[in-house]
Amino acid sequence: MTGEADLVITEALEGASTAAVAVRVRDLTVTFPTPDGPLPAVAGVSLELAPGAITGLVGESGSGKSTLALTLLNAVPAPGHVAAGEVRVDGIGDVLALRRAELRRARGAKLGYVFQASQNSLNPLKPVGKQLLDLGRSHGVRDRRALLHRARQLMDKMGMDAARVLASYQHELSGGMRQRVGIVFALVLNAHVLILDEPTTALDMLSQAAVLDIIRKVHREHHLTTLIISHDVGVIGDLADRMAVMYAGRIVEEGPTASVLADPMHPYTRGLLTAMPRISGDIGAARPLPGRPPDLTSIPRQGCVFRPRCPLATDDCAAAEPPDTVLSNTGLRDRRFACYVTAGELS
Amino acid sequence: MRLARLLAAKLIAGIVMIWVVASATFFLVLDMPGNPAQAQEAQDILHGMTPEQAQRATAAMFGFVPKQPLADQYGHYLWQLLHFDLGQSIAQEGTPVAHIVASAFPWTVVLAASGILISFLLGVSLGVIAAVKRSGLLGDSLTLGGAVINGLPTFVIAILLFYLFTTIWALFPQGGNVSIVYDPGWNAGYIGSIVTHAVLPVIAYALATLGAWLLTTKSSVVSVLGDDFILAAELRGLRPLTVARYITRNAMLPLFTILAIALGLLFSGSVFIEDVFNYPGLGQLMISSITTKDFPVLDGAFLLIIMAVIVANTLADLAYPLIDPRIRRR
Amino acid sequence: MTATTALTPEQLQRGLRRSRQRTARRWALLVNTPGRALSCLILVVFALLAIVGPYLYPANLPINPKNIYAPPSPAHLLGTDFEGADTLALIVTGARYVLFAAALAALITVVIGTTAGLAAGYYPGLAGSAIMRVTDFVLAIPGFPVLLVLATIWNFGSLWEMAVALGVFGWGGIARAVRAQTLSLRERGFVEAARGLGLPGGHIIRTEILPNVAPYIGMNLMLQLTGFIYVEVGLFFLGAVPYSTNNWGVMLNNAVFQANAVTSPRALAYLLSPLICILLITIALVTLANAVDEFFNPRLRRVR
Repeated sequence: MTGEADLVITEALEGASTAAVAVRVRDLTVTFPTPDGPLPAVAGVSLELAPGAITGLVGESGSGKSTLALTLLNAVPAPGHVAAGEVRVDGIGDVLALRRAELRRARGAKLGYVFQASQNSLNPLKPVGKQLLDLGRSHGVRDRRALLHRARQLMDKMGMDAARVLASYQHELSGGMRQRVGIVFALVLNAHVLILDEPTTALDMLSQAAVLDIIRKVHREHHLTTLIISHDVGVIGDLADRMAVMYAGRIVEEGPTASVLADPMHPYTRGLLTAMPRISGDIGAARPLPGRPPDLTSIPRQGCVFRPRCPLATDDCAAAEPPDTVLSNTGLRDRRFACYVTAGELS
Repeated sequence: MRLARLLAAKLIAGIVMIWVVASATFFLVLDMPGNPAQAQEAQDILHGMTPEQAQRATAAMFGFVPKQPLADQYGHYLWQLLHFDLGQSIAQEGTPVAHIVASAFPWTVVLAASGILISFLLGVSLGVIAAVKRSGLLGDSLTLGGAVINGLPTFVIAILLFYLFTTIWALFPQGGNVSIVYDPGWNAGYIGSIVTHAVLPVIAYALATLGAWLLTTKSSVVSVLGDDFILAAELRGLRPLTVARYITRNAMLPLFTILAIALGLLFSGSVFIEDVFNYPGLGQLMISSITTKDFPVLDGAFLLIIMAVIVANTLADLAYPLIDPRIRRR
Repeated sequence: MTATTALTPEQLQRGLRRSRQRTARRWALLVNTPGRALSCLILVVFALLAIVGPYLYPANLPINPKNIYAPPSPAHLLGTDFEGADTLALIVTGARYVLFAAALAALITVVIGTTAGLAAGYYPGLAGSAIMRVTDFVLAIPGFPVLLVLATIWNFGSLWEMAVALGVFGWGGIARAVRAQTLSLRERGFVEAARGLGLPGGHIIRTEILPNVAPYIGMNLMLQLTGFIYVEVGLFFLGAVPYSTNNWGVMLNNAVFQANAVTSPRALAYLLSPLICILLITIALVTLANAVDEFFNPRLRRVR
């Protein structure tokens, strides 16, 4: 666990604390230019990653979840850009306001990112070990042996043959191994925030289970603040302490995972859960959501964005976007959702 | 061990290709109007040689004896080929073709190699710029310029160069490889003359392949820039210089494949360039031997060109797995 | 995932309109910059010249031995040649051979290359490897020296023969590109599904793979055209193929080797005219090849 090697690396990173770190996203809007003008892929999103907790973000493809994840590292792909909002991380400040050199140092060392396509997240021409050393060199780590030692520790914990993996090229590793190597690269410099974008999508079921276990273990042992993004509600339900549901660039519901899954408030969340067939019970009970997920140009410009597919939609929903209804405001227990109809039903 | 098997396979493929080309040339000569070999033999007999003498003379000239069973002719031909005997010239009676071809060879190869080197360095640099600046005017102009040069026939380039720089502005000598004023040897005058006579042809060679390097580099860099691992490297906070190195190494790979094509282009182009600039290389040799109907020389030059290209191809093929670890697998 | 409900007539209308707009936008790519519009114009003009040109002039152009290599003048816009014939007329009548031969050769290479590429890509085993060996071989041989040697035993000066000679040695590039594309398409979902349904290979190739390969063929075609113009003009320029009908290569040959146009300033127009025509066509084809690339590859498009 924590040993000599960790202390050395910690010192090299100028005394980063080992306490859990909070991430606060406030009113974030990211737009992309289209023939019809700039349109938001992420619209006014506010989200808090509680320190030491695993937060899950669920959404269909095109919901903006990957864009949101990239924005946390200020890496929105051109031609998109951040139109408004901030991303505050304890110990760093507003990521979006960092100068280029500071941003580069924060990435990897303070904020760890594990790719959606971890299948190809390494340079195909260099062995894993050499790329690890490149990583260390780029972040000013002077003790190479300590770095490798820490990497080996992480790999052992994940059940990999460290010596073999370090000497291998990317194409010699299986999908599950590449995913795990991605996690190692994200954590080897003692980052406290871990963002995983679709960590299990490209894997078979057995590897999925293994990787989820590893994420859980690693999160606990290193006191991380983790964000997992997935379109698979099952994965989120399994791992996350809190979950947020994203649709068309907005967060439509958020709360403790067990609570949201047991009693979903937003029609979209309800639809998602109803659409999942269960292993036991009547398979005909599963019903898909009508319509198709919107793309950037087909999102309604006025009123609730879910209206075209919502079974509860009324005329009031067309006027303006529904505000957040907060159910209770006590830290990890609070829930919020954005729907006129459900809010009306509750009162 | 798998690597060794792969290399051996490529080597064998190269040898097979050379054999195929040599055989094709053999059958080509048989097919030539009036079967020059037979004609030569008949002529020798007319000149008073005995049939046996005539046969031997023709054999020496063409590498095989006509009117013998095909298999024997073929075998004889291949046997002589293995001894680097390409027969004898018709136009220059008795001179071994190998001799003629060998003296022309360096004039083509040295110039072509210099041209390729210059165009490689220039083309790759411009290609990288075109890739990095691809959403602006600079990138667009470079790309268009590269594409146009690529599509321009070599003789257009050669003619324009010749016309502009020897006639309109008399900056360079009007053809030839060296001024006859100087004595051959390692003296300043001779070397200087060779250089001044070589400048324009080298530029012509360089321009002929510049487009290919530029465009391939640009598209390769653009494709690598979009690769996941580059984004991953940036998200992990790798230094810009390290990322640049990652991009370069990966983008260089396709350039190997077009090295072979570039060489093919170059030898094709040598025919025009040497014709326009009156340069005594293999290209000019081919043309003159067609005019004088000196078929052994034509074959010899042709064979040499093809073999040079195949050898270069095979070398590039062999080197590729050494550079790209992904290929070593199978 | 989500079930598709039946479309209403209004939705159908909207969908149709949108797809028509999209197609219109794509075709607009061919002319959306002044450079591209100009390129289209250039190609149209030359195509017209090729088709209609020879009918505009008598079969034997009038010669005027007293007016050889005259500079441009109102009577002869581009000057005259070694016999006093009008250069402009020579250019116009010479266009047909050059462009038709290139077009025919390109057609031949597309047919051979696409067939070889599809076969090699779809049946990658022993058959595919064999085809690729042949393709690599054809690709590696420097085409021009081969054609030179070929010219000694076969005079392919006529239009069709020239096209065949060029086509037979030029299909390597297309075969390679088509094969690469076929290989990657083969692994995609819809092809696997078709195979799973038991559809015969030939059918799959025609209906699933071919339409997706078409864009690459289209682009390659344009670039091949420049290459073929190069080779055939070159062959005539060197005198490797004897004079059959008037064409630009013959004009260049006369200019450089007969008139010594490169060493003296006379006959400048005669020398430059075919060169500039080739230059214009090359630029036009290259520009449009880029446009075709964007047409099928929306990622390359920029929001202009």
